Amino acid sequence: MLEIKDVKKKFVRYTKNKKKEEFYADKGISLTAKEGSIIGVLGPNGAGKTTLLRMIGGILEPTSGSITIDNLTYDKNEIEIKKKIAYLSGNTKIYQSISGYELLKMCGDLYGVPKDEIENRIKAISKELELDSFLHNRIGNLSTGQTQRINIARCLVHEPKYYILDEATSGLDIISSQVILDFIKKEKEKGKVVLYSTHYMEEAENICDYVVMIHKGLVIKEGTPDNIKEATNTTNLRDAFFALIEEVEDEK
Amino acid sequence: MKNNVFNILKKELRETIRDRKSLMMMFVIPFMVPLIVIGLSLYFETVGNPSIDEYNKIGIAYETTESEKAILKELEIKPIYDSYDNLKQKYENGDVNLYITKEENIYTLHGEYSDNTSNAEQLAMLYLEAYKAYLQSEYLNEYEINPLDIIEIISVKEDIVVKENPLIKVITQEAFLFVIMALTMAAVYAATDSIAGEKEKGTLETLLTFPVKAKDIILGKFLSISLSAFVSGIVSLILMLLALVFSDGAFDIYKDMNLVPSVATIIYSICIIAIYSFFVSGLCIAVASKTKTYKEAQSALTPISFIAMFPGLIATMATIETTHFLAMVPFLNVSLLYNDILLNQVDVLNLVLAFITSILLVMVVLAFIIKQYKSEKVLFSN
Repeated sequence: MLEIKDVKKKFVRYTKNKKKEEFYADKGISLTAKEGSIIGVLGPNGAGKTTLLRMIGGILEPTSGSITIDNLTYDKNEIEIKKKIAYLSGNTKIYQSISGYELLKMCGDLYGVPKDEIENRIKAISKELELDSFLHNRIGNLSTGQTQRINIARCLVHEPKYYILDEATSGLDIISSQVILDFIKKEKEKGKVVLYSTHYMEEAENICDYVVMIHKGLVIKEGTPDNIKEATNTTNLRDAFFALIEEVEDEK
Repeated sequence: MKNNVFNILKKELRETIRDRKSLMMMFVIPFMVPLIVIGLSLYFETVGNPSIDEYNKIGIAYETTESEKAILKELEIKPIYDSYDNLKQKYENGDVNLYITKEENIYTLHGEYSDNTSNAEQLAMLYLEAYKAYLQSEYLNEYEINPLDIIEIISVKEDIVVKENPLIKVITQEAFLFVIMALTMAAVYAATDSIAGEKEKGTLETLLTFPVKAKDIILGKFLSISLSAFVSGIVSLILMLLALVFSDGAFDIYKDMNLVPSVATIIYSICIIAIYSFFVSGLCIAVASKTKTYKEAQSALTPISFIAMFPGLIATMATIETTHFLAMVPFLNVSLLYNDILLNQVDVLNLVLAFITSILLVMVVLAFIIKQYKSEKVLFSN
């Protein structure tokens, strides 16, 4: 199980007058994700979604609060946690001078997958994601969609239990996006946990079991998509989100 | 842990081999080394062994005797007889290389310092010495004294062993400096690409999501940069040896000299290249890890290439003896140790001291970087 309790993240930035200024990207976020679920982290750009997922992925360290994955914490079990998760963002860059096959093999080695097992897994993943026609081409020569499929494949090699996907469909065409969405559904069926951040509300509505809406670093609403729509008296998550923002602004 | 260091090393090497620019830096700069060897040989041959036609036109502002004419002919001097003023003009026009005037029995050589005038001066001195010896013999003969009894009243024999040939020393030292420079450039480029390049390309974020410790990432990258630098150094050394073999046979200045280094010299040179590769790679990683972009890293690292050359040049020009302390001074120790090798004065302790110091420095630097290499600091320090 993945548990996040009151996680805050403070950054320092410099103003136009070159003055140091502290600000919180996340102001105390809590959520729990159980096996076999897709949790959508929704919010507009700058809401604090990427910061939250980066903290869960072990790239950023929370200023306060705790992140526990299967009762393990980053300060004591960083390597064990990283072996359990796969982190993929729309901005994730991969090595251009190597082939998809070489990347998958490298990932298998780095995650400690047994040597004789790596080949079998690459074959299976390649079949599942239809990589065969370009698996041995250099990544630098692939299209955006093909590159993102290789990126998904590298997340699968070590058979992680948790997927942290940050705007994974951003900038992709409909077909490439669908490949990712299908992959998310399949992994859920296998009992995996998927944390999926997006600003495409319709996409989230279709695949998420539970949704956490974030605005300006705070959770403004959470629940199943149906519950949220019902509570806000709307017919879709987009309208629900606007209604919630209005509510928050009025309260201020 | 060992496995992950190896995996990172494999990844880095694969990227280096597939990157044309990296390969260029590793293998193109070493080609400067033979150019230096051959270029310097050509220069020394031209300056040190000029054709006599370039400096044998000597102006003479007095009448010469038959004996003098015979000596001038013997020495292949082409005398140009004219007045002092005309000869001065001819010298300025470059028609004569030197001119001589005579007042009673005082001969004066006129000219301004240059390679040709200097060579002409030596030739003129030979002529005047020979003429002086002739006049002395004539005088002694007149009094029925055997000239040899006076002129050769004492005789001098030379027993000076030439242990250090200055020509060979200069050429091999300069060439080795370029080996060091090529190696440094390879390390600079590899570090720029591996540390700052990976940040700029955005792949470092991906790498930091893998279950790999910062220690393994840094060690893997360090070994890869060291290996690139070492390979570049070895390629340069091989090219330097080939150029020395070629020059040994091609240039007259190396007649009766052995320009090709001994096997022991080559082995010691490889040791120095290995020591220096470790040291400079550690230094490059330290500097590159403080930069965020490729351009920034290049600006910060380029001075290292020049710093690498300066102590070497100083050691080449000044006669500095290698002490145990100097053997521990980075950059300078490389050139000093190489000088010792050329002079057959290798002190293994100095070599060991240089090795230990370099390794210690690198360990301290790497430990510092590993401590600093937290994903947040590395990726988002802006």
